[in-house]
Amino acid sequence: MKPTSLAELRDAVRDSTGTLLVKGAGTASGWAGTPTGVDHELETTGLTGIVAYNPADMTVAVRAGTRFSKLQEELAANGQRIALDPARVQAGATVGGLIATADSGPLRHGYGGPRDLLIGVTMVLADGTVARSGGHVIKNVAGYDLGKLLCGSFGTLGVIAEAVLRVHPLPPATRTVSIPCDVTEAVELTGRILEARLEPAALEWYGGALHARYEGLESSVELRAAATPGGTVDHEASRVWDGEFVVRCGSRPSQLPAVAKHATAITSSVAVGVHTLAVDSATAVERLRDEFELTVCRRPAGSDLPAWGRPHPAVPLMRAVKQRFDPAGRLGPGRFAPWF
Amino acid sequence: MSLDALRDELTEVLRDGVITDPAHLRTYECDALTGYRVVPALVALPRDAAQVAAAVRACAAHGVPFVARGAGTGLSGGALPTADGIVISLQRLRRVVDVDPVDRRATVEPGVTNLDISLAAARYGLYYSPDPSSQQVCTIGGNVAENSGGAHCLKYGFTANHILAIDVVLPDGTPTRLGGDAPHQAGYDLLGAFVGTEGTLGIVTGVVVRLLHTPATVRTLVADFDSTKDAGDAVTAIIAAGILPAAIEMMDNLAIQAVNATVDAGFDPDTAALLIVELDGPADEVQARFTELLEKCTRATRVTVARDAAHRAQIWQGRKAAFAAVGRLSPNYFVQDGVVPRTRLGEALTRIAAMGDAAGIRVANVFHAGDGNLHPLVLYSEARGEHDRAEALSTAIAELCVELGGSLSGEHGIGTDKACSMPRMFSADDLATMQRLRAAFDPRGLCNPGKVFPTPRLCGERPGPYRPHPLEAAGVIERL
Ligand SMILES: Cc1cc2nc3c(=O)[nH]c(=O)nc-3n(C[C@H](O)[C@H](O)[C@H](O)COP(=O)(O)OP(=O)(O)OC[C@H]3O[C@@H](n4cnc5c(N)ncnc54)[C@H](O)[C@@H]3O)c2cc1C
Ligand SMILES: Cc1cc2nc3c(=O)[nH]c(=O)nc-3n(C[C@H](O)[C@H](O)[C@H](O)COP(=O)(O)OP(=O)(O)OC[C@H]3O[C@@H](n4cnc5c(N)ncnc54)[C@H](O)[C@@H]3O)c2cc1C
Repeated sequence: MKPTSLAELRDAVRDSTGTLLVKGAGTASGWAGTPTGVDHELETTGLTGIVAYNPADMTVAVRAGTRFSKLQEELAANGQRIALDPARVQAGATVGGLIATADSGPLRHGYGGPRDLLIGVTMVLADGTVARSGGHVIKNVAGYDLGKLLCGSFGTLGVIAEAVLRVHPLPPATRTVSIPCDVTEAVELTGRILEARLEPAALEWYGGALHARYEGLESSVELRAAATPGGTVDHEASRVWDGEFVVRCGSRPSQLPAVAKHATAITSSVAVGVHTLAVDSATAVERLRDEFELTVCRRPAGSDLPAWGRPHPAVPLMRAVKQRFDPAGRLGPGRFAPWF
Repeated sequence: MSLDALRDELTEVLRDGVITDPAHLRTYECDALTGYRVVPALVALPRDAAQVAAAVRACAAHGVPFVARGAGTGLSGGALPTADGIVISLQRLRRVVDVDPVDRRATVEPGVTNLDISLAAARYGLYYSPDPSSQQVCTIGGNVAENSGGAHCLKYGFTANHILAIDVVLPDGTPTRLGGDAPHQAGYDLLGAFVGTEGTLGIVTGVVVRLLHTPATVRTLVADFDSTKDAGDAVTAIIAAGILPAAIEMMDNLAIQAVNATVDAGFDPDTAALLIVELDGPADEVQARFTELLEKCTRATRVTVARDAAHRAQIWQGRKAAFAAVGRLSPNYFVQDGVVPRTRLGEALTRIAAMGDAAGIRVANVFHAGDGNLHPLVLYSEARGEHDRAEALSTAIAELCVELGGSLSGEHGIGTDKACSMPRMFSADDLATMQRLRAAFDPRGLCNPGKVFPTPRLCGERPGPYRPHPLEAAGVIERL
């Protein structure tokens, strides 16, 4: 099924029976649990395009199947952007897919993740109900914020049809400083950079160095880059990263060394405590899972490594929410195995 | 339901922490929206999370509704009790449990005031960013419930962007935790969904907040304008130039007069409107942006730059005193909290002024202009019998904001006050979907009932049929 309008999407959900797997561009189709017993795939990539964009209001409404990179191009023509930079964007990830996976990149340090940039949402529930929450203004507390609920929902609560996002100005200049160091030093350096009030937009450790990205006016990023302790001003940092198992994991920022010792490669938003790790075996993932909250994003074909670790205290509530939104269990079966 | 049995049970657990004396109960009959008053059946004053859980469990066992209360500074009737229900006050849970300068976070109890968190963090050069004008009194638990904002949220974001985890007692008495050590949620973002639900999903008994380093440099100016429209246009120009100030606040002449009668903030009593604009960040960035900012204020009749920290504090004292000061101009007033798209500020202010004139009622404006969050103060006299007219005007202003493509509320919440206007903004399906979330947390509807969502009892003859959102009507957004 590949609807091209909200009405078609609603009809597709309402007039079908059986289970549905929501599919965007497929860049994260291996994330979370492996879907089981899927009757229909529901592709969102026919739902594309900007719905409303008034640059001076600094908000944009966009259909969920739109490629995020395409949206960024249109915003850039007006000197604006969504301050969200997950690596999957280059691979064609869609707006809805990024929200459903709560994905983010190094800019999470300065701007937060999808939950912090999403100000309104239109969704289709498993019974065909079309519901909206939030709105078109950045400040808004009217009603429950269902957009946040959909962040990290992996297509199990509803189909995201349309999103309204907060827009930021494109920075006039950027500078990235790389400081070769190990993860223990990275934690300490992060503290010093923040204490020096240099206001980096990102502080990312990977490939044997802490990368501090500054955004702002040309003269200012130059000064801040020069003031960064131990830094060498670099080209825009770029690395390719690979691994048998890939997991996204959260910890207190200072626990980075304890997380990193399980990884063969790691990229970490050091000040935030969100890490993406390449891990060489299922046993290593299981060890990590005993200590930290994680999501498995990639596993080798044939591996039956569960996507989620020990249930955290709010898992019963997650089940209760799932039960209310999708009592028949139509959407994304298997995604939250072994939790539900 | 048995209130007597509940009282006995609570007394056993809370000892002196139960109020039953009718005179004393009246302290809890309303929040800062004093137009709505209901005396609760009793008040529980637990001392710790375990006692909160025990109190909630007892309510669940006896089928008695309950409402959490922080400092009672809410402006939408969120903490309004029900006559057959109890108030659970978090005033005795006011410990700052831990300030962690390495991981830049603080763990606090829900009754701690917003300002006390920043005071506890100050010795490390850290602070808690969201700063409601009521920050000296309002509690972090209330902030979480309302997703409170403040003047500096334009750059730094609202409460929801600064909470890492909360401990919650669910409506059946079960304690749980939402969020965690990092903003990486394994699964649904239940923390994000909880913040701003106005005490309807459970009681917060512990909060882990993110702390930020105080900025390196701060520069503040006050710009006077000949009209609110000129001031509004300056706001649009600043934002459109890609400048992201820490704060942009606007006050009109009536608000300025009120402030000047109370504190000396140095505001010109004759100016039609003023903007307070503050930039913060690395010195060089702030310096260069400040020059750009001055260029955007060309239509200002006068620009005053804060000389030093003391002068800046004086300006902010003037701004933050505005609500209280308006009490001097008028025996009674309503505060509205609607939001409009930033490009429609001028239009909104013009229409509000016209509506005020038509109703023969004065409206003062003091608000967060940078994010389009209006706070029209509708001034009236109860004694002169103006209440109903003022209330109708106040509601009409909130609904005007929706009509302009905005929202009923930017930070004060829907509560009791605006519940009946919700169908102006959301369809029956939208509201029913929100109720699914509520039912997942509180299937029996005992936790702060009657708030946020319109009920036939509350809204009487105006159940407010759904009308298409103006953006839908204009074909900008589609429902189907
Ligand atoms: C926070 C962060 C910062 C990064 N910064 C850079 C950078 O600056 N420059 C750079 O070249 N690379 C960076 N990477 C590495 C990047 O994730 C990928 O290695 C690279 O973009 C290849 O992606 P792909 O879409 O071709 O992967 P594919 O091979 O198409 O995807 C394979 C699998 O990997 C998963 N996957 C893809 N991207 C990610 C991701 N970001 N996290 C977890 N799983 C993923 C996909 O969902 C899929 O299941 C960063 C990664 C992270 C997490
Ligand atoms: C002069 C003045 C200025 C103000 N300025 C601002 C401003 O700039 N920005 C802004 O956003 N607001 C402002 N407010 C509104 C108010 O201060 C905020 O809404 C504040 O967050 C309320 O906190 P409180 O502790 O007083 O909560 P209360 O009024 O006691 O309660 C508010 C709501 O929170 C719920 N609640 C309280 N504690 C808990 C808990 N522990 N767990 C679950 N639910 C709970 C209550 O049930 C109720 O629904 C202002 C109010 C006044 C009087």
